[in-house]
Amino acid sequence: MNQNPYQPINGEIVDIIDESPTIKTFVIVPEEEFRFGTGQFVELTLPGEGEAPFTPSSSPAETKKMEITIMKTGRVTGLLHECEKGQKVGIRGPFGNGYPIDDFVGKYIYIVGGGVGLAPIRSLFLTLVERIKDFKSIVCRFGARTPDDFIYKQTLFDAWREIAGVDMKLTVDKADGEWKGSVGVVTTVCAREDVHIKNAVAVVCGPPIMMKFATLKLLGCGFKAKDIYLSMEKNMSCGIGKCGHCMIGKYYVCKDGPVFTYDQIKDYPKIWD
Amino acid sequence: MEIVFISKLKPFLDAVAEQMELYVPKKAGDYYVFRRYEVSDEAVEFNNIRTCTPVKEFLFPLREVAAVFPEPVEPEDIKPFAVFGLKDCDLRSIEILDKVFAEEEFKDPFYVKRRENMFIISSDCSNPGESCFCTVFDGRPFAGSGFDLNVSQVSGGFVIEVGSDKGKDFVEKHSQLFTEVPEALLSERDENRAQAQKQLEQNNADYEFDKPIREIVEGGQDSDVFDAEAKSCVECQACTRICPTCHCFYLYDTKQKDYFAKMKMWDSCMRMAYAEVAGGANPHKVLGDRIKHRLMHKFVYFLDRYGIDMCVGCGRCVDGCAGEADIRTVLRKLSEELKDKKEAKTAK
Repeated sequence: MNQNPYQPINGEIVDIIDESPTIKTFVIVPEEEFRFGTGQFVELTLPGEGEAPFTPSSSPAETKKMEITIMKTGRVTGLLHECEKGQKVGIRGPFGNGYPIDDFVGKYIYIVGGGVGLAPIRSLFLTLVERIKDFKSIVCRFGARTPDDFIYKQTLFDAWREIAGVDMKLTVDKADGEWKGSVGVVTTVCAREDVHIKNAVAVVCGPPIMMKFATLKLLGCGFKAKDIYLSMEKNMSCGIGKCGHCMIGKYYVCKDGPVFTYDQIKDYPKIWD
Repeated sequence: MEIVFISKLKPFLDAVAEQMELYVPKKAGDYYVFRRYEVSDEAVEFNNIRTCTPVKEFLFPLREVAAVFPEPVEPEDIKPFAVFGLKDCDLRSIEILDKVFAEEEFKDPFYVKRRENMFIISSDCSNPGESCFCTVFDGRPFAGSGFDLNVSQVSGGFVIEVGSDKGKDFVEKHSQLFTEVPEALLSERDENRAQAQKQLEQNNADYEFDKPIREIVEGGQDSDVFDAEAKSCVECQACTRICPTCHCFYLYDTKQKDYFAKMKMWDSCMRMAYAEVAGGANPHKVLGDRIKHRLMHKFVYFLDRYGIDMCVGCGRCVDGCAGEADIRTVLRKLSEELKDKKEAKTAK
């Protein structure tokens, strides 16, 4: 049966963490060994209801359990948000290419993230930090609508920024009284001087509109299109490059992505829609 | 290659049906569709033109169970089956589907199983239809390969050509059914074939393009033709459902009494919500964009991935369209626009 790519393996939700008013992290224990590369995605099935694609937010080094951070945004995610600990789920995957970490060695890594886009970025960040000496530095520029909308608050606001080799700036569209960080969309905290761009790669993940403007900003800063890695969100379903729903030009996001360089997809129509 | 002769179809088909389920063409209104053959069937029709339904229905059914859980079950065993009356365009569509479902890194186990168990008895098109345009895509009204047995109608009987080991085994096993082919009948077959090919070429004289179709479609991406086509499109999706090469599908989950199932069902890129994500983003919101994507997939993207066009010129989409659209005229308009563009450029 392992030959059947449509067959999910069974798993169980063992913990649920509230991240923001609309976002929760589900800790899932698969019944069989399940390994993935950072940036790859899985199809998570709520039995009898449907399945949806998510990139795990935990480190691939953690093999016993997997964390998936989910924003309530449609039918399946709405139902998942109503689930409680003990809920059985199905997992298919991992699918796609993930981040080419080995190509990042010796470089500055410039990560721009927004909203629930921090989920794949958390997995990437944890993976990079495990071998941080391999990289020049990790620069993080993260945005959210309000301070309350930031996910992973416990680690984001202190533990991560204290890691040597990490340069982190947070910004919100709308501040509250206690907010000490920047105010403005995420591109306002990105600057040409942040890194040595000739020896840097950028990673962008967030809502489509944010990805579009972040990409334009990075190009303006001098990043080459081939050095900007985008985690694309399309309607991935089968996960194996056949069903057609997630096509960007000749690419199947589920199989050839979800991580693309801007160079690969920039000439295709409506990539941000 | 072995070639034999039969005077009547029925004993031959009975012998096939004795070994496995057999599907044959039967008239439904103006068109042929495939129906299960019964030995009690009195007459068997020789279809001079392809069926209306696509051959993919045998390999990739409209709806099937893709997975059962939490306790997986072995998929239903696929028994050998035969289809009689497939045309060259059908065989070429199988070649295209094979690339997607059987030759990729990820194989579709259900497709592969059906494909292995399929016995293909193709036949010549002695009377291609108005909508047929296989010759535009280097196709022919008779099959050269990809069959187990091929049947050509000639005076007083049928010429049968063996195309595979499976076909050879069958002929050897049933040698009493077959006789040698008189030389004259072979020439007759070849003349019939040439005649049908000529008819197709004449029917499609207006669609001889001076550039590869890929260039025509890719070069026409900014054209208004797609939005203009959208005006007469009623979004019935028939063009994609009936297409033997379209293979998009939709996975959905169901709840049964004591198990859950993941189902796989044909889908269509012409459907409004086809590419929509939960957050509402949808790169194909506009109908003209969906029509463009369908053509780009067929003539550009598929070619980029697999090295062949995703169209065999069977013309089913032309017959099936409620809006009377004809993919050939779309290609011709794009081709003319491209020529005009080029001329305008040279004039400058």
